[in-house]
Amino acid sequence: MDILKQLGAKAEQAEVVHVHSESTTVGFESNRLKSSQVEETRGVAVRVVKGGRLGFAASSDESATDRLVTNALESAAYGDEIPIAFPAPQPAPQVTTFDPAIVELSIPRMVEIGQEIVDLILQIEPEARVNVTLERSVQHLSLRNQAGNEVSSRRSPLSVICEVIRVEGDDVLALFDLVGTTVWQDDYLAFARRLREKLELAQKSAAIRSGRMPVLFAPTGALVLGLPIMLGLDGKNVYTGVSPMAGKVGQKLFDDKIAVIDDPTLDGRFGSASYDDEGVAHRRNVLVEGGGLNGFMYDLKTAAQSGVESTGNGSRGLFNPPSPSPTNLVFQAGETPLAEMIASIDEGLLVEDPLGLGQGNVISGAFSNSLSLAFKIEKGEIVGRVKDVSIAGNVYDLLQDVAAVSQETGWVYFNFNLPYVLLPDMNVVAKA
Amino acid sequence: MRDRIEIALKNSKADYTEIRIEEREATTVAYRGRDLETANAVIDVGGIVRCLCRDGGWGVATFNDLSDLLTRVEQAYQCARVAQSEEPIPLAPIPASEDRLTVALQHDFRGVPMADKKVLAEAYNEILLGYSDKIVDTMCHYADAFSRVTLATSEGTFVEEERPMVSLRVVAIARDGDNVQTASEGRSGQRGFDFLQGQEELARVVAQRAVDLLSAETVVGGQYPVVLNPMLAGVFVHEAFGHLSESDFVYENPKAQEMMVLGRRFGLDILTVFDDGSLPGLRGTHRYDDEGTPTGRTDLIKDGILVGRLHSRETAAKMGERATGNARATGYRYPPIVRMTNTAIEGGETSFEEMVKGIELGVYACDAYGGQTALENFSFSSGYAYMIRDGQIAEMVKDVILAGNLFTTLMNVDAIGDDFEWLHAAGRCGKGQGGLPVAFGAPHIRIQDVVMGGK
Repeated sequence: MDILKQLGAKAEQAEVVHVHSESTTVGFESNRLKSSQVEETRGVAVRVVKGGRLGFAASSDESATDRLVTNALESAAYGDEIPIAFPAPQPAPQVTTFDPAIVELSIPRMVEIGQEIVDLILQIEPEARVNVTLERSVQHLSLRNQAGNEVSSRRSPLSVICEVIRVEGDDVLALFDLVGTTVWQDDYLAFARRLREKLELAQKSAAIRSGRMPVLFAPTGALVLGLPIMLGLDGKNVYTGVSPMAGKVGQKLFDDKIAVIDDPTLDGRFGSASYDDEGVAHRRNVLVEGGGLNGFMYDLKTAAQSGVESTGNGSRGLFNPPSPSPTNLVFQAGETPLAEMIASIDEGLLVEDPLGLGQGNVISGAFSNSLSLAFKIEKGEIVGRVKDVSIAGNVYDLLQDVAAVSQETGWVYFNFNLPYVLLPDMNVVAKA
Repeated sequence: MRDRIEIALKNSKADYTEIRIEEREATTVAYRGRDLETANAVIDVGGIVRCLCRDGGWGVATFNDLSDLLTRVEQAYQCARVAQSEEPIPLAPIPASEDRLTVALQHDFRGVPMADKKVLAEAYNEILLGYSDKIVDTMCHYADAFSRVTLATSEGTFVEEERPMVSLRVVAIARDGDNVQTASEGRSGQRGFDFLQGQEELARVVAQRAVDLLSAETVVGGQYPVVLNPMLAGVFVHEAFGHLSESDFVYENPKAQEMMVLGRRFGLDILTVFDDGSLPGLRGTHRYDDEGTPTGRTDLIKDGILVGRLHSRETAAKMGERATGNARATGYRYPPIVRMTNTAIEGGETSFEEMVKGIELGVYACDAYGGQTALENFSFSSGYAYMIRDGQIAEMVKDVILAGNLFTTLMNVDAIGDDFEWLHAAGRCGKGQGGLPVAFGAPHIRIQDVVMGGK
């Protein structure tokens, strides 16, 4: 018997999600092709609402239907009483997330690409050790619920993770980058060239004093500022009251230059899709505009708890119930060219790669990070790498006053798009 | 199943083949604030085949459908042939083991109804919520998992192992206006349900700490002598040093080998660091690693001198050393890589009072929110901390994040406490493959001249 019908006979609402994915990975270790891997994943996850209570169960053993039904109903017996309604069929925007050019990438071609990346780095750092992982996947997700909603999606993510380690005596420089797309990019080496530029700049070193100075955050570095905002906009943190932004919709919280948009409708991006993982149609949501707070990111459950509509931010893995999560989180570009921003700094710090991202009391807005890669800016020029430097502050204070936001942006950590952000005056601690 | 595994191994065309099958059932009960957020069970069944062609490389196939192992072996073999290696890839020799490891838990959580697990989590959550009206949010997370793992290799190893794990995490979030503070504690082990009962005091401590942190000032940035409590000392040695002792970092990197040359002085004579995957009941413990190598104690630093490192069979063979039983995988989706198990700083002779007595202005940093290392540079944040003034523990401070250079910091460890303990916190290491259970052990330690961010 069909599992949706089985569940539907025993509960008021039911939802069945099947996932099937196949992926192929090639891995370079210490500059050489070391391994390749194929992975096949299958599984089924179900949710039910019985007696007004929500239950969940999942299995990667697709034949274990009876246990799955039993587990879901038992889970509902203890579940939350939530006025949740699985969504009826609804129209959604067309978003491209599948590209045969990625699906058809052969293993030898993937190896070639990996080798090109390694060679690009070794040209300027012959002593470096480069680890590269390329993965391409085909992911199918099909969702059905008792309300007649049937959504099936097909995605073709391609991701590249690159790590460069350079050891000179006791000096270790470790750089890390990861990029992803769902449609083929002809300029697939762009990220590797950026990595190479950073390495080239890091060949010179510089000393910096402790104290207050202008600090320029590059896109990866700007995650230090973006992460607390992302958590603060999460409907779950808003509902539970831990978000410092809770209850502040309509208020101006940041400098005019700050705008944050969750945008799943961009073709080909890693977090793009027509529907979210609960069958809710995706849309572009402007969360912060001109420094003012417009709204938050909700899935069905946190929306029901908060008495609002889902914003289409339900995201799930096979073994976890959905929770709110950004799709592609875009911190909007500004009006200043990057070159102008650098030229404006007499003495300051350029933050490329922070260490310990996300550790500490992030939700409060507080951060304190040492920096694995940072540069000194002197008289309008980047003069060299600085080591043993750390920065600390609170995003809710610091983003009140932003000196400039760049026209240029970069995609980092798969689904974040950030510009360069210049803060006019913050504390920098350097080891004497 | 055994027949099918052995037939698949026999049919492999690779020089070395390994099959690992895992069946896992896990239960989670989680409260967030007043809401019971999760009460569910999941079933996870899957496998991995790993093949080595000595003149090629490694090939891996992972899957959920266990019905056609022969095809999976062929897929992994084809993957192994993609790479071309100029020198044959060696594997250090290990004895073939045939073993069946079952566990007898004092109070087996598989027989405990979901209702009782809910009651336990709810009781701790009620303590958190009821402690103060400043506590605006809580998390109380109960989890158990029981895995049956079968490892078979073409060299004759066939090990079946039962792996139980229970864990509890309690988190209190206190808020006063815009000031939001979090405190947490965890407890975990390869134990039964009883291991998580009677932990009311843990919940009270967490609630009190979150409230106390509301009135703590941010530490003033600068350089301080710092005393670490055993939990933070354990995380420190794992993050700052342990990852460098994992040989996959050095084995194909001559410059890194120079840096990590055995015999190099890393600390004062008082410093000894080891890893031991064979200690009963700890989170990182297994009789065999995921290549079938028996686990045991490996001294990493002895009396301040680097004396050893952690190996898989491949890294050991490349470096002419012995396989140490540190090839571990985070489940059937991953091939094993070099990982720590239970890692510790051995106890010393200084009492906590003596350690603090000599400090005019310093920081007593406790527990860890997390840590990260970019090899020689590390950064880790303490859960809570106090200033030390004139040899006395003084006011609480917050946002204490220690960062530094491994080599100078280890040389600056100038006192080791006489109060060694294994921590039962729910330690997870995220290297490469996501969270793998590990354990930390340490006494209090003192480090001079630690750089701290802050206001």
